[in-house]
Amino acid sequence: MQRRQFISLSALVGLATVVPVSLQAIDFRQTKANAWTAHTVDDAIREMYGNITLIEEGVSLNLPKIASNGASVPLDISSDLSAKSLAVFQNANPESAVIAYTIHENNIIDYSLKIKMQEGLREVTVIVEGRDGKFYSAKKTLVVSPGGCDG
Amino acid sequence: MANIKIKAKAADGIVKVKALVKHEMSTYNQAEKKTGDRNNALFITHVSATVNGNIVYEVSTSQFLSKNPIFKFNFRGGQKGNTISMTYVDNKGNSKTDTAKIK
Repeated sequence: MQRRQFISLSALVGLATVVPVSLQAIDFRQTKANAWTAHTVDDAIREMYGNITLIEEGVSLNLPKIASNGASVPLDISSDLSAKSLAVFQNANPESAVIAYTIHENNIIDYSLKIKMQEGLREVTVIVEGRDGKFYSAKKTLVVSPGGCDG
Repeated sequence: MANIKIKAKAADGIVKVKALVKHEMSTYNQAEKKTGDRNNALFITHVSATVNGNIVYEVSTSQFLSKNPIFKFNFRGGQKGNTISMTYVDNKGNSKTDTAKIK
């Protein structure tokens, strides 16, 4: 019995030492696999962060009001918040989750990226997970003109 | 396989990085149209960058980034002359690492 306890204890200790290493590098595609296959923005957010209330401030999201090329829609995201992670969702493509940044202490939230979007009236949502446990968001709509990417 | 072109510049304690990854980035729908098989989709799923053993950039991505994506980011704690190393992994398990000196 004692030996058994020792083994389970050492297994626990082993787990505890592994965890900090995995915190160093989080692959959201593995830890939150369902979020990447969700088809609506709300579902994807729920899979990624759970049921959360969003505070609509502190995050700046810049994008063109009319995107002429759906194959590359430019987004600029910046924020001064002290954050743990940042995720981008949109409602144009079959799946909603676009990208999820893991933010380390010495990172600056100032990202630019180009994404593919299907034509139509679309909405981009950015969510920042703050180190204070709150969730901040920014939302913007845009028109993607026809002739772009087919998602 | 594709390459990563990295440009990194240090100024006032902040390092600005621009990296261009040559990659197909095809979505499931595009792959189905082109080859008739959804499983031929090829896209980057994870990108990370390290300087002096510290992770300075880390991101999980989906198929909706544009073709040959550019990753732009800034971070503190890097200096001129340090080496920045970037790695990507795609959904087929291919991985590629490239390095550059911070100027």
